[in-house]
Amino acid sequence: MTWRGSSLLVAGLLLAGTLTACGGGAQSASTAFDANNCQGGTLDVLNQDDAASHLDPARLYTSGGGNIPSLLFRTLTTRTRKAGADGAKVAPDLATDTGEPNADATVWTYHLRDGLKFEDGTAITAQDVKYGIERGFAAELPGGAPYLHDWLVGAQNYPGPYKDPNGIAAIETPDAKTIVFHLNSPHGDFPYLATATQFAPVPKAQDKGADYEKHPISSGPYKIESYDKGKSMVLVRNTNWSRAVDPNRLACPDRIEATYGLDPAVINQRLTTGTGKDGDAVTTDTDLGPSELAQLDNNPDLAKRVAKGGFPYTYYIAFDNTKAPFNDIRVRQALSYAIDRTSVVNAAGGSSLAYPATTFLPDNKNMGYQAFDFFPAGKNGDPAKAKQLLAEAGFSNGITITLAHRSADFNQDGPKVATAVQDAFQKAGITVKLQSIDSDSYTTTVSNPATQPQASVEGWGADWPSGGPFIIPIFDGRQYLAGGGNFNTAHFNDPKVNADIDAINKITDPDQAAQRWGQVDSEIMKQAPLVPLFHTTQLRLYGKNVKNAFVSDWTGVYDLSQVSVK
Amino acid sequence: MTAPSEARPGFRVFAGRFRTDRAAVFGAVVAGLLVLLAVFAPVLTAIEGQDIASFHSDLVDSARGGVPLGPLGGISGQHWLGVEPQTGRDLFARIAQGAQISLLVAVCATVVQVFLGVTVGLAAGLGSKLVDTVLTRLADIALAFPVIIFSLALLTIVPDAFPRPLLLALVIGVLGWGGTARISRAQTLSLRTRDFVAAARLSGAGGFRIARREILPGLAAPVITYAALLLPTNVITEAALSFVGVGVRPPTSSWGQMLSTATTWFRSDVMYVLIPAVMVFLTVLSFTLVGEGVRVALDPRTTRLTRKAG
Repeated sequence: MTWRGSSLLVAGLLLAGTLTACGGGAQSASTAFDANNCQGGTLDVLNQDDAASHLDPARLYTSGGGNIPSLLFRTLTTRTRKAGADGAKVAPDLATDTGEPNADATVWTYHLRDGLKFEDGTAITAQDVKYGIERGFAAELPGGAPYLHDWLVGAQNYPGPYKDPNGIAAIETPDAKTIVFHLNSPHGDFPYLATATQFAPVPKAQDKGADYEKHPISSGPYKIESYDKGKSMVLVRNTNWSRAVDPNRLACPDRIEATYGLDPAVINQRLTTGTGKDGDAVTTDTDLGPSELAQLDNNPDLAKRVAKGGFPYTYYIAFDNTKAPFNDIRVRQALSYAIDRTSVVNAAGGSSLAYPATTFLPDNKNMGYQAFDFFPAGKNGDPAKAKQLLAEAGFSNGITITLAHRSADFNQDGPKVATAVQDAFQKAGITVKLQSIDSDSYTTTVSNPATQPQASVEGWGADWPSGGPFIIPIFDGRQYLAGGGNFNTAHFNDPKVNADIDAINKITDPDQAAQRWGQVDSEIMKQAPLVPLFHTTQLRLYGKNVKNAFVSDWTGVYDLSQVSVK
Repeated sequence: MTAPSEARPGFRVFAGRFRTDRAAVFGAVVAGLLVLLAVFAPVLTAIEGQDIASFHSDLVDSARGGVPLGPLGGISGQHWLGVEPQTGRDLFARIAQGAQISLLVAVCATVVQVFLGVTVGLAAGLGSKLVDTVLTRLADIALAFPVIIFSLALLTIVPDAFPRPLLLALVIGVLGWGGTARISRAQTLSLRTRDFVAAARLSGAGGFRIARREILPGLAAPVITYAALLLPTNVITEAALSFVGVGVRPPTSSWGQMLSTATTWFRSDVMYVLIPAVMVFLTVLSFTLVGEGVRVALDPRTTRLTRKAG
């Protein structure tokens, strides 16, 4: 009698949940954090998913080197481990500085620090870094960011070191400590790109191809003791690493134990209660749920254990601007006026986890954010104005569109947000038919112009905190990829914007570039190529014994290389 | 004179007995109200002045994740059962639609189960030894099937275009006929040796006619009794399947689906869990009480007991 068992189970779980609802917990962390005296203890990581679908530096697609990957893989540069806007800057990691460009930012030179070693004690050389980058080109190891293919001279078709052991000529290693990159066009953002895990050294002698991810050789403060993919991972100290050769990572805990595959409600419940080992726990992938949000006001103990940050991310409605009815700017404007950003933000988890977007760039200084709202829809949309614009465009009886969304809500592009859009558009005479696309194939479907739905809910995050990787893939007309892997779903192509992008790429001063990206954002959004919905905020709990859990503007979450449980 | 065990009480006798069973009457009243709620869901929602789909972002606390404003999940004159967290959609409208889905699926599934079960049972009971063996083994297999797991598999592979409530009814129905088949076969076997069946056969009646005119009426009592208990089982199965996310698709609402969403809300908005849970509970309880009442009222042995007592 399966049905009887399962219904009893459901009832029992609900009851148990209600009974344990009154969890709280006393504070026990007493002494202040001291970086010089923070070593010791075991940090627990409670996650929904394995932090890496593939724990291979060639296959990771992380922003700034990632959180857990950055404990194992040092890169030429890395994100600055500081709170707030300072944390959105690039810091030298394996290299002695963030890179020496030539006059037009097409040649970048790096020198490695002294005394760098892998976990087995062998020295890290420039050749190891070069080999690591070349692995990222191998078809056997897909998954990394595409920038290097486009940027390095003559590397577009490089098949990787397994098929072509001669390597990439555009990367020179004149000696064991120097590495030089030759780019085919100016890229002031190169130091940001060098934070990616593809810039981590890989010892050629220990490369096992696709199996390398079972035990990647560490260059960071920890090494893998055991790893059960998708379930758990245990990291212990790498004795060949020291703070003397790494000014960025504090590496306080002696041991880090990660558990994957947990339910988000369970993670938050365990962090809230903090019984036993859970007092020393953190999460790298779970934001607060409604239960915790509701408690924040009247539970100061809980409230002070919440790290708040903003990983630059924008959710929006995309549609092909070259196809009817979206080829009429009045229709696109009507959609922008019709949107009810309050209900959309609520669908995304409420105002604590998202804020309304009227720009494409998120509110982040390093991205070049400038505030504007060209089609003021107010808090709840302006259906009257939208109807008027539709009528002017010849659609006085309204229009019907199909809106695709991810089948699940684990990102914020699922049925909840789509239904909220549907409801708001209805009031403006825009009938929305929802099309649910399976989560696994969602990105592939919407990023291929051949299968692209009429309209879709999409999201875009920063590969690094600069306007470039945010704006170029979405709005550069030359980045429209008819064969798939296309993120310019609007099919946007404005020669002036393209020229601006080329001009800004030559700028090596991030502040100057940021200001220009803000102007480009405004230039683009005037044309209403998409409907920005909201930007996200991260609210992450940490255990009651965890210290130094600060948040940078780059990652929006606390940094495992900085936290302490002592 | 016929023995009491062979007495076939007419409807009046049945109703008289049913009425004396207080639990059954309570069940019947509640079940009746639920059926009314389901049938008149659109009308009642219109009287309330709400609809299923409209968002009310002003009725939820955005900063706290979208918890309904006001006590008890935002229950008010405008929103009789409060509003859904995050969206502010009217809960009464969604609960009423949930009642439609729940009862519709359960009733249709029961009809499918009874139809299949009785057909197979009759065929097994009246057929040759080979037919009987094959069909009985089939029924055993059907009984041994883990219904939830198999439904999960079936519901996942069928494309979304297929109407979901109908699919649910079919899947639950097609997988759950084993019990009815067994009961029908047993009853058929005991009836086919009776004199009136032999008489019918001697007077030249064919197999089909015997099944329909002589055996089927004799099956009514046990099958109705069993079906009355199958119905609440099917309510639970539908709720469980919707709970795990293979039931009806949003924006259609169902109780199981609400309970599943509510797992993240139970601490901040208790009513959102309680309301669909109470609805499932009341439905199952009332239909089970009715079913039990029907069983008792139709059971010949009860007759003897009541007669002795009287």
